[in-house]
Amino acid sequence: MNPVFDWHALAPDVILVATIVVVLVVEFAFPRQSRTQTSRIAAIGVLAALVPIVSLATHENEAREMFAGAYAVDNYALALKAFFLVVTYITILLSVDYIDEGDYYRGEFYFLLLTSVLGLMVMASARDLITIFIALETISIPTFILAAFRKHDRQSNEAGVKYYLIGVLSSAIMLYGMSIIFGLTGTTTLSGISDAVAVDATTRPLLAVAMFLTLVGFAFKVSAVPFHFWAPDTYEGAPTPVTAFLSVASKAGGFVALLSIIFFGFRSPNAADLWWGPVWILAVLSMTLGNLAALRQTNIVRMLAYSSIAQGGFMLVPFAAAGIAEANGEPFVADTSFEAVVIYLLIYGAMNLGAFAVVIAVARRTRSAEISSYGGLFETSPVLAVTMTMFLASLAGIPPVAGWFAKFVMFRSALEAGGPWGVSLAVIAAVNSVIAFFYYAGVIRVMWFKEPVTEDRSPIQVPGALTGAIAITATVTFVIGVYPQLFARVGELAF
Amino acid sequence: MFFLDNAWLVPLIPALSFVVILLFGKRMPFKGSEMGIAAVGSSFVLACGAAVQWIQRVGDAEEGGGGTEHALGAFGAVIGRIGEEATEGEHGPIVESVHNSFTWFQNGGIDLHVGIQIDGLSVMMMFVVTLISLLVHVYSVDYMKGDRRFTYFYAALSLFTASMLLLVVADNTLMLLVGWELVGVCSFMLIGHWWEEKPNSDAAIKAFLTTRTGDIGLLCGVIMTYFVVQQGTGTGSFNIEDLNASAAGYLNPVSGTLLFWCAAALLLAIIGKSGQFPLHTWLPDAMAGPTPVSALIHAATMVVAGVYLGARVYPVFYEGLNIGETNINLMAAVGGITVLIGAALAFVQDDIKKVLAYSTISQLGYMVMALGVGAWTAAIFHLFTHAFFKALLFLAAGSVSHSGAHHSFDMKKDMGGLRKYMPQTYITFIIGTAALAGIFPLAGFWSKDEILLGASEGDYTLFLVVGAVGALMTAAYMTRCIYLTFFGEYRGGDHAHATPHVDEAEHQPDEDDRLPDHGHHGGPHESNRWILAPLWVLAAFSVFAGLFNATWFDIDKFTEWTAPNANVFVELQHHEFDVMLALISTAIALFGAALAYAYYWRGLGPQRLSERNGLARTGRQFLVNKYYLDVLYTDVIVAFVKGPLARATYWVNQNVIDNVLNYAGKGAMVFGRFTYDVLDQKVVDGAVNGIGTITDSAGSEVRKIQTGRLQFYAFMLVLAVGVFALALWIAA
Amino acid sequence: MGTMEWSEWALSLAVFIPALGAVVTMLIPRAQEEAVKWVALITTLATLGVVVGILVDFDYDKSGQLQFQVNNDWINVINSRYHIGVDGISLPLLALSAFITVLCVIYSWNHWPEPHNPKAFIVLMLVLEVGMNGTFVAQDLILFFVFFEIVLLPMFFMIGVWGGPNREYASIKFFLFTLFGSAMMLLGFLALYFKGPNTFDIVALSDWAGQDLTHSTAVLIFGAMFLGFAIKVPMFPFHTWLPDAHTEAPTVGSVLLAAILLKLGTYGFVRIALPILPEAAEDWAPFIGALAVIGIIYGALGCLAQTDMKRLIAFSSVAHMGFVMLGIATMTSFGINAAIFGMVAHGLITGMLFFVAGSVQHNFHTREMSRLGGLLTQAPKMGWILGFCVMASLGLPGLAGFWGEFPAILSAFEPLSTLSEETFRTYMVIAAVGTVLAAGYLLWMLSKVAFGTPKAEFADAEIHDVNAFEWTAWLPILLLIVALGIFPNLLFGVTDDAVCVMTDKISEQVGADSTCDEGGDTVPVAEHE
Repeated sequence: MNPVFDWHALAPDVILVATIVVVLVVEFAFPRQSRTQTSRIAAIGVLAALVPIVSLATHENEAREMFAGAYAVDNYALALKAFFLVVTYITILLSVDYIDEGDYYRGEFYFLLLTSVLGLMVMASARDLITIFIALETISIPTFILAAFRKHDRQSNEAGVKYYLIGVLSSAIMLYGMSIIFGLTGTTTLSGISDAVAVDATTRPLLAVAMFLTLVGFAFKVSAVPFHFWAPDTYEGAPTPVTAFLSVASKAGGFVALLSIIFFGFRSPNAADLWWGPVWILAVLSMTLGNLAALRQTNIVRMLAYSSIAQGGFMLVPFAAAGIAEANGEPFVADTSFEAVVIYLLIYGAMNLGAFAVVIAVARRTRSAEISSYGGLFETSPVLAVTMTMFLASLAGIPPVAGWFAKFVMFRSALEAGGPWGVSLAVIAAVNSVIAFFYYAGVIRVMWFKEPVTEDRSPIQVPGALTGAIAITATVTFVIGVYPQLFARVGELAF
Repeated sequence: MFFLDNAWLVPLIPALSFVVILLFGKRMPFKGSEMGIAAVGSSFVLACGAAVQWIQRVGDAEEGGGGTEHALGAFGAVIGRIGEEATEGEHGPIVESVHNSFTWFQNGGIDLHVGIQIDGLSVMMMFVVTLISLLVHVYSVDYMKGDRRFTYFYAALSLFTASMLLLVVADNTLMLLVGWELVGVCSFMLIGHWWEEKPNSDAAIKAFLTTRTGDIGLLCGVIMTYFVVQQGTGTGSFNIEDLNASAAGYLNPVSGTLLFWCAAALLLAIIGKSGQFPLHTWLPDAMAGPTPVSALIHAATMVVAGVYLGARVYPVFYEGLNIGETNINLMAAVGGITVLIGAALAFVQDDIKKVLAYSTISQLGYMVMALGVGAWTAAIFHLFTHAFFKALLFLAAGSVSHSGAHHSFDMKKDMGGLRKYMPQTYITFIIGTAALAGIFPLAGFWSKDEILLGASEGDYTLFLVVGAVGALMTAAYMTRCIYLTFFGEYRGGDHAHATPHVDEAEHQPDEDDRLPDHGHHGGPHESNRWILAPLWVLAAFSVFAGLFNATWFDIDKFTEWTAPNANVFVELQHHEFDVMLALISTAIALFGAALAYAYYWRGLGPQRLSERNGLARTGRQFLVNKYYLDVLYTDVIVAFVKGPLARATYWVNQNVIDNVLNYAGKGAMVFGRFTYDVLDQKVVDGAVNGIGTITDSAGSEVRKIQTGRLQFYAFMLVLAVGVFALALWIAA
Repeated sequence: MGTMEWSEWALSLAVFIPALGAVVTMLIPRAQEEAVKWVALITTLATLGVVVGILVDFDYDKSGQLQFQVNNDWINVINSRYHIGVDGISLPLLALSAFITVLCVIYSWNHWPEPHNPKAFIVLMLVLEVGMNGTFVAQDLILFFVFFEIVLLPMFFMIGVWGGPNREYASIKFFLFTLFGSAMMLLGFLALYFKGPNTFDIVALSDWAGQDLTHSTAVLIFGAMFLGFAIKVPMFPFHTWLPDAHTEAPTVGSVLLAAILLKLGTYGFVRIALPILPEAAEDWAPFIGALAVIGIIYGALGCLAQTDMKRLIAFSSVAHMGFVMLGIATMTSFGINAAIFGMVAHGLITGMLFFVAGSVQHNFHTREMSRLGGLLTQAPKMGWILGFCVMASLGLPGLAGFWGEFPAILSAFEPLSTLSEETFRTYMVIAAVGTVLAAGYLLWMLSKVAFGTPKAEFADAEIHDVNAFEWTAWLPILLLIVALGIFPNLLFGVTDDAVCVMTDKISEQVGADSTCDEGGDTVPVAEHE
């Protein structure tokens, strides 16, 4: 049988592939000076890819499936694709000057970046274990190289290598788990698995192990404690825009994969009560240890790394909640929980990218990522300080900036699932969100209360692209904060 | 009945004058004094008007009239319920008190009224307060002349008068409380009038805090009155007549326990305000204020607020403390003790004002005791007369110090033999003393006599004795005082300014901004008319005021006029004049005077006993140190609260409670360090170091890692996986 | 503008005009301080204007029901709505907030705390006002939560940037405490949502009033909210952030903190905790009352141990809020009326005390009472104002403070009929003792600061007395203190009906006698003996 291609549905991915090719060609064909265009080409390509997504979204939406349901383009997929593309666009904005000013291989950079994004696009649509695996690798492999992109920098190399090793290992474990699942269910499509799991309870222990191995694989991808140890060094070593991308996009990729597998594959109660326990533990460990470790950091990138680990923990809370709900046979409750994950992802993306944008901007002046180097930022360039404060406050979950809503839906899902485990999870999360404020406030404190460290009191010059990135993220963060409804629609839409 | 219905004007006018003086006083030709005098003067006129009309009203009532038209709404209901027993009055004529009230605020659906209740008692008080206040205002014109806060002084006087009058006309205990507290504050302001010196501000604070301690009682008491009325009438209220009716048991039964606690609480308030034992200690210190203030506040008016309260809500005490059924009760006991300890202390004072202060304490003791033994009329009658002669004595003492003793009050150092220099002051002082000692036919005689009568009739023999002994002591210490002040050789000299203790001379401004005719250049001399006029007026009252109730001559106008509305009041017993008792008490007084005379003039008896006899010395010490009560309060209680207790609390706050957070924070940090250094760094750092040593050659790098670190990571994985597998099996 | 529209817009304006002002201020270059100041003044005045408009149009006969209501969609996904409105309970506090903010702007007109930068300061102040006004009008739990949180950051910065030497510690402490509280509070709200009728609407929840909620759950949820509010008040064991925050905060910060922010907590109890979970409240009441009276005594003792004038005032807040909480704990209309009066009175009086303390520091550059003295000689007017505030603060009848204190104590004599009278009467006596201690520490401070003669070091210091700006800022407060003291009905008249409506509902819920209707049903004390 030859598969049918729904070109409209594939359009975004196709456009992206095209862009990748163009970028590559430009890189080869044209002399060095004209290569500055690559960033623009990449950006345009990404935006272009958004167009069909919009058209698809507005189009009367029957779920579009291909390849025997292995690849689906539904609202869920569209929402996530849109999100990934926007994130990519912002990442490009972050990168432009950063790359131009360092002696990097521009073309390769954007080539790799976009390839990874292609992986994300596929991931959003993947409804089949194999597709998911391929997507995941497509996401990861380019990022291994990106992480080591500052090739004359030893830290960067270290970052790359470490990331690479862990990536490979986790993939292996995950693949192993998947293979067992295939063995048990005889299918790789999630829907098939779902049906199989729902009926058959004989193979529970083995299924448990299989799911668990898969879970561990993803745990590495999303750097959940205790599988997180690669993250801080990688984040610190990698070029900051790449770090931003890793901490948002590829993390999100991991979560989406997890979401897809669980949402489409393992929702049935007798599966759920196998996986919610481990997820619960992962969530608690990630939030708690991530926060505690972040308390100790003096380097802002490292701090953000640990913070993103903790945030990952918060994102796992609705997962666990969903699991509990499913186990109790309350699928509707679970729906809102999955919704919560998506909402959290989107908001997290905005505020975290924003924070990194400011970090990049400040580093242009200070050439340092030490928190102490933010002294008196409020004096020298108040705008940066205020926006950064906004992002950090948002990460800490303080109204009226977006973060509170993410936290809110997170608490909500946990409490809605209820029961001792749900409530305790909520309380732990609450306590953690208070601890978290402590290190975010640490930065705020330095920016506002401390004297500038440099003699140079002139405001920091921020290039256009970067300003754009900050403006976009800031606006999003604020608007979601005061009127979450706008945004919550997306989450709703996804399910 | 204009004056009665609008008696609220009486407090209002001085209140306004307070504001005016405060704002514009300094720009007035006489620095605001004229404003104050005008205001109090008009209040006085109104008060007299009220008095006249009230007397008419009583007259009408006797012809069977009696204006009920002013009965208060809530109270009307009460009357309705008790109408029958009201009319068949063996209580004699029923004279409704005049009410005029409007809603002050409602809270919890309950309206609280603000209004006036005018009856004999309040009319009498209005009269006394306004009159004495007026005289003091006049007196101060000269006495305070050139004071650096002259205007402010008058403002405070006005405010004080206003508050006291508010307290007097109040028709509910809540308003009464308001007036009460305001009075306290004015006293605070005026005692601390010369706040530059610490002793004065300390005295002010002491006075305020002591009375405030009593106010715990007032606060709780007033609250309980609310619920007494609630039980009596079914609707909670602070209204005084409802309260009295409820307490007197004319309405629904009221819990005895509640009444008792209410009475006890209010008694505490009286003890605080009226300088009763054991909270009397503030009163002598309060003499740090200017003399007119001492006269007005700490003798004639404010300190009797307590007694007034006692008289106002008498049924509460009567029922609550079973007055009349026992031959000893809390109230009488407190009063009795106070009579004696006050008098005793008066003997060892060198400061003329302090003598008078302790005498005041002792006299207030009489009044409270009178209430305690059921002699209501006697109590307020004594209040009435005492106001005049005590004010007189104080003002006279002021005049002495002002013109005769270089603004010192030390009888032993700066006085003596002054009768030659200031005859008028001398005579008026003698009159005051005689009145105070209760010499026939002066004011004090009649009132004190009634108290003793009440005690004897009401089987309160113990207190009859107390009263008698008190009379003896009173006469004696006053005689001593006269001796030290007016007889013997003038000891003033010119060293007055070097007097060791804080005296008013130091509070006066520099010489130049005081008028030259001011007596402290040159020797002692008579004061001028601003001062003498009030003295004579008061002297007149001290002589004749008693005749309102000269029961001997079957005059009992005072009783008649002040008789409370029997429908809402416990039945009061009135006693026939007892000649024997009168004679005895007078004899006792004279005997006391005689003793002192013998001791001081004739040098009879054991002179300088305390220097020879150890026992006597300790006794004297005991008195000089005021029974060590001040030590107890100041150095023990206050010191403990302010010192160790407060510090301990604060220590706990800083080192225990506060540290909970800090420890929590530290804990998190420590835990964070552990997480980071151990859990994280042991893993990551290892890797970092490993790679750190690597050469740039990628190949060897990878190889190195493959040989070295990979197993380590693998191990980590296995470990983690193992742990989770365990957790999973538990879950599954 | 037709009243129809007006009544729909009024509250939103009152809340968001300051936000607009903040935005405008941000756009003004930092150098143009005059412009900044004027924008601030105009904004706050406009807000006050709107609030006055509300005061005028408010139907005082229906103060029991929400007025100027707006109920629009906000976040449908979590079905939380933009529901705002005022009744007799929130109106006075809204007015207070708008009023005090204006005075703060005037006061700071020309002494800005270091490091200067009026622009930032004003922006923060305006954002703060948004949060404060919003909290008082919010009728939706989530909306309430958001506004409740909005005040955090501005105050955090006010303390942290413009504060005293120990400002960083103080600011973080303030923030963490409150954040922890509100996190728990949020959990409580969510629990209400799921255990209750799946709504965040305060009105709806109050009607539901925790029926079909197992007792233990109710008590737990109340506990969560209790944490949130009690920390904000602050009640006894959670108070330690307050002295530090106050001591370090700039004058205006302290004033706003004392005058408004503390009220958010007590208001939360009255508006949310009690009506929504009456039964649980009933269980908690004795405990709350106990903490309240402990706070009264404890705060007073704390005051006596202070050497820093401002810190003393800060501690006195603990004591005063104790009275407020005692009133609330009785769950009677009398007590809650008293509590609301107490909130306003404390707001005015303590706010005023902080103003004076600020000016004293401005003059003498110290707040150490051992170094101060003779203020009455050097700056008589300020001295008298201080004396006045002290008198007001120690609950002198005839001034505002008394009407918060006395009725609260009175209400403790007869709490809700289902509560233990013995317990609360004990509280009453303790509270009464507290009034004496209050007099003690306040007069002690007064005598230290104002009486006596100036210390040598300041003997010939250049001390300015109350200046024009201070007069403009202070006079309204002083007048209001007197006015409320003489006509307490100005306030009771507004709150009473609202409170009665609420307490009657509560009494009904817990099966207690109404504490409102003319005392007819009030149980004679006798029955309890």
